[in-house]
This record gives sequence, structure tokens and C-alpha cells, in this order.
Amino acid sequence: MTTPIPELIVRPDPMQVFMFSAVTWNRHHIHYSKDAALREGLPDVVVQRGLLGNFLSRLITNWVGDGAELRRLAWKVTRSAVPGENIICRGRIMERTEAPDQKYVVCKVTASNTNEELIASGDAFVIFT
Amino acid sequence: METTVTESLLPLIGMPKVRHYEVTRRDIRHFAQAIGEEDPVHFDEDYAKTTKYGAIVAPPLFCQMLTFEDVSPQQLPEDGSPIEIDVPVPAHRTVGGGSSYEIFRRVRAGDRITATSILRDVFTKEGRGGRLYFIVVETEFSNQDNEPVARETATYIKRV
Repeated sequence: MTTPIPELIVRPDPMQVFMFSAVTWNRHHIHYSKDAALREGLPDVVVQRGLLGNFLSRLITNWVGDGAELRRLAWKVTRSAVPGENIICRGRIMERTEAPDQKYVVCKVTASNTNEELIASGDAFVIFT
Repeated sequence: METTVTESLLPLIGMPKVRHYEVTRRDIRHFAQAIGEEDPVHFDEDYAKTTKYGAIVAPPLFCQMLTFEDVSPQQLPEDGSPIEIDVPVPAHRTVGGGSSYEIFRRVRAGDRITATSILRDVFTKEGRGGRLYFIVVETEFSNQDNEPVARETATYIKRV
């Protein structure tokens, strides 16, 4: 049986999508121009793959606090997310080991919208220090 | 003689591009704000000194700040997508597919990071809406002591 970890709900707004593009110097127009996004068949400017990864990273760091380090995060985007909608990040512990020289946990992580459509999914490898 | 897509891609695969960057406290603050992270370990030096890190550290995926080269806008493709994935495939709409991101140590203010990016692979598949091109870019990050800091393998998808 797998154990769930506490959920994280985020709601990226246009400013956050802008800030993330700015801080990563990503000038791809689907993240700042609604016209350009619509021309490419997207519903609005879209949340960056990288920012979705950071939401999943926060899900893990909120849960483990100071006692552990996120060692690896892998995620895949399955559906576009747009600003102004809630993204619910969840995780489940799939595997854990308590070996004296190395304690670690593997979690499956997901990000879904309020219609329970999957935005991204992946896994996180966490080492307890 | 016409060059095929494969022939024009081959010389690009495996060619490393190296950049150097000195991280500031401001960079760490801005990245934390951009991802919605409020943990004072990214903002407050006095607080950070009381933690196991002993100083301000960046969030785990911070090196994404250094992944895309800051080439001039004129060098970018028309859609502004990153130069790292500007490869000669017959498709011009780009979305980010996924990532695998490893964290070896947290970045600190003052770290001098070396980012090495390599185009690892380009492959193609027929999708529901047409042909898709997958572009795989690996970026390795190390610090001033030559210690590995992070490694990201990101896959981008271009479609017609």
C-alpha cells in the first residue's frame, strides 16, 4: 500500500508565468503572448514545463522540510496548464528504505487541474540526511 | 545536393556549449519568488545561518535559471524559443515535454557555476495531430570547486 504525502495547491497567475520566463530568460512567446499562444492552438499563455517542475519540487520540500534533500525529480507534461487555474500537486510514497547508511524514499508525483485532468506526472527521489 | 534533416542534425549532436555565471543573492531571491517559494532560507541571511546550510541557498531546481543562453533576440527563432533547441527540423511549434533533474548540492550566493549544454538526441514520431520531433538537451552544472551541482536532461517537442 502506498502512503500519500500532503497536497500542495498552487494557482499560477500571469505575473508568475511572466516572472518565471524572466528569471529563466525564456523568451518563448507561448508564455507571454496570448495571441501567439492562440495561433499555436493553445487556449492561453501556458505554464512552463520548468515551472511545473518547481511546483512538484515544492510539494516535496514542503513535506520533508530540513531533514532531507530532493536528489532527483523527473516529470513529464501531459496537458497544458494556463494561468488562473488551480494546480493540485500530490505525491505517494512508493518505496522507502531505512538502511543505516542510506535512508531514501521514492514518490510518485502528479499535478492535476480542478477537473482532475493530469497536467504533469513523474517521480521524486529523496534522501534523508 | 539536398541535405536531409538527419545530415544537417548530425554535426550538432554531442557538441558542448559552455557558459559561466556568478550567482547572486538577488538571483536566488528572484527565482524563489518566481516559483512561489517563501521559505526564508532563500531570503534571510540571519535565518539561513541557523539552518543546516549555514547560509542562503537556492531552491533545488535553481540551475534552470542558467539553462537557456542569453543570446541576442535576433539570434532566436521567430517564436523566441531557446537557442538550445533551434535545430533544423521541419516543425515550428514548440512545447516542453519533460525533464529529469538531478540535484547534487544546493547553489549558494557567490557560487561560480559552469553550465555545459549538449544536444543529445533528436528523434521523431507520428503523433495524433501529425509528426512530432523530440529534442533532448542535457545541461550539466558544476561550481568553482569543480563539484557537480545539478544535471538536467530536458525533452522538448516540436510539431508542425
